[in-house]
Amino acid sequence: MAKRILLCDDEAHILRAAEFKFKRAGYEVVCAFDGQEGWERLLEHRPDIVVTDCQMPRLNGLQLAERIRSTPETAGLPVIMLSAKGFELSETEIREKFGINTLLAKPFSPRELFRRVEATLARQELPAAEVHM
Amino acid sequence: MYERRLTALLPLALLAATCTTLGLAWVVEPQFAPTSWPVRLAIVLIGAGLVVATIRLALAQSQSAARAAERYVSRLCELDSTLVQEENALDLIPFRKEDAPWREFAQKVRRRMAEFARQADEIEMARSGVEVRFRRLAAERDQLREILMNLADPVLAIDSFGDVVVANASAERLLDIRTTDEAHPIFEQLERCQDLLNLLTETRKRKATTPRSSEVKVAAADGKEQFFRVTCRTLATQQHSMGGERGAVAVLTDISNLKTIQKRNAEFVSAVSHEMKTPLSSIRAYVELLVDGEAEDDATREEFLGIINNQADRLQRLIDNLLNLARIEAGVVAVNKSAQSLNERLAEAIRVLEPAAEQKQIRLTAEFSELYLGVLGDRDMLLQAAINLVSNAIKYTHRGGSVTVKSRLNDKEVVFEVQDTGVGLSPDDCRRVFEKFYRVKKDREMAQGTGLGLALVKHIVEDVHGGRVEVESELGRGSNFRVCLPGLGQLNA
Repeated sequence: MAKRILLCDDEAHILRAAEFKFKRAGYEVVCAFDGQEGWERLLEHRPDIVVTDCQMPRLNGLQLAERIRSTPETAGLPVIMLSAKGFELSETEIREKFGINTLLAKPFSPRELFRRVEATLARQELPAAEVHM
Repeated sequence: MYERRLTALLPLALLAATCTTLGLAWVVEPQFAPTSWPVRLAIVLIGAGLVVATIRLALAQSQSAARAAERYVSRLCELDSTLVQEENALDLIPFRKEDAPWREFAQKVRRRMAEFARQADEIEMARSGVEVRFRRLAAERDQLREILMNLADPVLAIDSFGDVVVANASAERLLDIRTTDEAHPIFEQLERCQDLLNLLTETRKRKATTPRSSEVKVAAADGKEQFFRVTCRTLATQQHSMGGERGAVAVLTDISNLKTIQKRNAEFVSAVSHEMKTPLSSIRAYVELLVDGEAEDDATREEFLGIINNQADRLQRLIDNLLNLARIEAGVVAVNKSAQSLNERLAEAIRVLEPAAEQKQIRLTAEFSELYLGVLGDRDMLLQAAINLVSNAIKYTHRGGSVTVKSRLNDKEVVFEVQDTGVGLSPDDCRRVFEKFYRVKKDREMAQGTGLGLALVKHIVEDVHGGRVEVESELGRGSNFRVCLPGLGQLNA
């Protein structure tokens, strides 16, 4: 069964590139142009993984991640964040405070993003005992 | 002189003494006496007369000498201190022949008086010098005190006992301290600024007199925080006290503005970095997809190449805008001002943007004044400002809306307005829309933008042309950007 991925970015071209990459890899892709739309699409489509930009209108990536972690049904959903932000947030801070699984800096490589998504999903699928090893 | 005069009286005195002695001898021993009583009486009377005459003459001469001396001295006293020092000063005093013996004495008195006068002059000169120096030092002290007290930078100096010796008005105001408050020692008052207190305490214990700097945060009475750079040093001129501590002086420089600028600069760099990374992300992503052969058909490749081209243009625009803004802000851009027709520049901007308006089916209309609206300005910059405003209006107006460019004369100003029926701005957005990289969050998906266009307009209008730019807007109803420029005067079009 094809994996379902939610992509959130307010930059249409970036969204299109990621969508193209994942669709070609056989993923079912759901797109959203901001965090709020992303949250609505997430509840509607129940993706296996979320890739979101950090800076977006209405609801930004960090707020979206917080909402995902604080909702019991979505708390375990892996979240990968793309960020073009500068130095005001440290990587550790983002990972620990907002429960982000992977952080990728922009400009990013679609190839690298794909690899990270695959790796994250693979970890999710491992039995709990193996994960803790 | 006087003695010689008395010597001249000596024979007369001897005769008087002889006569008197004879007379007295006869009284005591009659055998020595002449036989005739009249003779005896005559000798005695003559003797007595001579005695009286001698005494009177001596008295007269003594009085005359005293008068001469008095006259000399009093005339010398009448001479001023300069004349008395002249060797021939006595020539100014009229002499009588009989006073001649006193001249030498008077000259001695004059010389001594001249010596006193000279010494008095020297003392007076020294006193005057000291007085002038004292006044100059007092004036310098008052001047320095005035400068110190009115310095914008707070200055605080304490002695080796920790007592405040100087606290200028700025320091008293900033630190809310009263140097005259005996009940509360200054260290107690300074407790609200613990960092400054620690710095002063440490400085007092230091032996080196080299200054040391540190940053402190001071909370003002209204709760607003101010940042200061404190330069502290020990006072080398103060003696060591028993504890080995010296006095210290602290000069505080307000760096709050610098901090704000540093923060803005960091935000600016962050915003530039973000704005540059966004198109770069697209370029990199699509290049990689092409390199990896992900785009299998020509249409897809064409699409990807178009996006790369478009994003490269966006990056180019961003860099151009950044450079233009930096050049204008730094004042290094060459401004070529000449008489410009505002209507012509606006018409040119409209011509440039007509295709973009048509693409979005936006009605772009011009309502220009019939008058020639002359403005002394830089052709390219005015055009750039007009293009930025009209382009923004098109970007943030929904399909089917309208954008109107108006011009008019208002007293001595020429005015142009760009009105749209677009998404509008909130009051907060209206206040911030001219800030660099400020983009209205809710409208970001509507169009690409660098967040520099309106900042550039503001600089061109206000800094380069001495005009002003204003915005009126209502959410959901549209915006009206108004630019007012100093006019050249009007002629019929």
